[in-house]
Amino acid sequence: MTQSEDRPEEEAELAPPAAPEAPKPTVIPGLTGRRAPPVLPTTGWTAWLTALSAGVMCLLAVLTLAASMAANRLASEWRADLAGVATVRVSGPGDGMTERIRSVLDVLRTTPGIATVRVLSDQEQADLIAPWLGQDAAISDLPVPRLIDVSLDGAGPDVDALQSRLDLTVSGASYDDHATWRAPLAAAAAALERLALGATVIILLTAAGVVSFAARATLSANKHVIETIRLVGAEDRFIAKSFVRRLARRAAIGGFAGALIACALLAFLPGLDDGLVLPRIEAGEQLGVTLDPGLAGWAALGIGVPAIITMIVWLSARFTVQMTLHRMP
Amino acid sequence: MILLDKVSFGYDGRETLSDVTAEITPGTFHFLTGPSGAGKTTLMRLLYLELLPTRGRFELFGDDPAALGPRRIAHLRRRIGVVFQEFRLLDHLSVLQNIALPLRAAGKTVDEHGDDIMDLVRWVGLEHRAQALPPQLSAGEKQRAAIARAVINSPDLILADEPTGNIDPEMGARILRLLIELNRLGKTVVLATHDLGIIRSTKGMVEARILRLADGHLAQGASVL
Repeated sequence: MTQSEDRPEEEAELAPPAAPEAPKPTVIPGLTGRRAPPVLPTTGWTAWLTALSAGVMCLLAVLTLAASMAANRLASEWRADLAGVATVRVSGPGDGMTERIRSVLDVLRTTPGIATVRVLSDQEQADLIAPWLGQDAAISDLPVPRLIDVSLDGAGPDVDALQSRLDLTVSGASYDDHATWRAPLAAAAAALERLALGATVIILLTAAGVVSFAARATLSANKHVIETIRLVGAEDRFIAKSFVRRLARRAAIGGFAGALIACALLAFLPGLDDGLVLPRIEAGEQLGVTLDPGLAGWAALGIGVPAIITMIVWLSARFTVQMTLHRMP
Repeated sequence: MILLDKVSFGYDGRETLSDVTAEITPGTFHFLTGPSGAGKTTLMRLLYLELLPTRGRFELFGDDPAALGPRRIAHLRRRIGVVFQEFRLLDHLSVLQNIALPLRAAGKTVDEHGDDIMDLVRWVGLEHRAQALPPQLSAGEKQRAAIARAVINSPDLILADEPTGNIDPEMGARILRLLIELNRLGKTVVLATHDLGIIRSTKGMVEARILRLADGHLAQGASVL
């Protein structure tokens, strides 16, 4: 039962007559909006070239950036490991070594900037030289220096002043703040980053160049179509907008596919000896070496890189199309 | 509407149009005639703003096209419907999509003009070919689609450059009737043709003026059909 049937009869009589329905306009699908075809035909080899070049460029950019991120991570970890610690090496004959070490410890404990000191045990020293001499090496019989681990407080001690005090106190004691290791490591990491950045810029420029070439080729092949579209009253920005949007869409599809392949390669790259890298990531982490960029890294590589490539393609295509149309009579 | 005052056009030191003076007023029907190479197409290209005169004064709808930027030129072209001898339909678009193209170019919401488009498709007799692509159409069908495209934006001026040149006489007569009907609806029509038979066939159907071109010069005055 409807609402009107529920009302009293007189109330229904007072109700105004329903207004006649306005005729609905004919809507023809496929003439406008997303379903409308492009005003310029963008199929053919240039379409494939755009998607393929964006895909390949994305793949290369992701691999390059992943390697750069791994190198940077490794250098950062090493730098952090070495930055807060130092080592004092006490060398010389075994006779009187205990006395000399005690004297060195006394100097270190009274030096500002040093938090803690610890003499490495025989076993720890044996572990350090085990890769060269094996686990059975008798440290006490070998003329190896004794090592003292020093953890630093804040910026650490005045190295020159400390070394002078050590020289005055004990012969053969030298303080090593690992600066010799850290400096080239930092330089190598920076060089790697610059190299990766340079390679990425080249990749982006190549993508822009290929797309620019494809856009020019398409416009040139469709000169008569463009003339016709202009004659029906189209502004150049109307032509450019439709054309560039489609190129960017193709680049995005190719780019995300390329990034996906690159991420899969990083995750499942065949290892040097056994199996895949992924199961070995844990082992690699012990050495500080892994291609796993972490959650944020995966997002940057898998989403950020293709998004940037798409943006580059869009800008390059837009600029090329506008310039080419401007030059057309 | 159109004012040509000693208009010339040339390139590489050769003039294809010399000192053409004419005035075309709103609502009139003009034939532009003359032998091949007389300059008809050059004059038509000037009228639909594909070329600009190298000399003389040219005004269209009160504007001097030479003083306008690309954007204003595009807007001016929306007041002109052009029908070409070679149709110039876009092969990758269907008949309906070709007809809707000027609406899209003008930034109009095409969906709102569905009724207009369908009315035009029926008027040119192409309702059964609405979804066909131009390569699937006959020459006559292509030209009828081109006429529908030329008038979808309700232009003030319709320029037809040899519109019957590539179609059989029967279809040519039908195209001519469509153009005359448009003129009766108030549109200004300029039809370029070298075929005097076409002009004669319209006698009694339309009050037309004839502009005769020869070697780039317009014959003195215009005769009335």
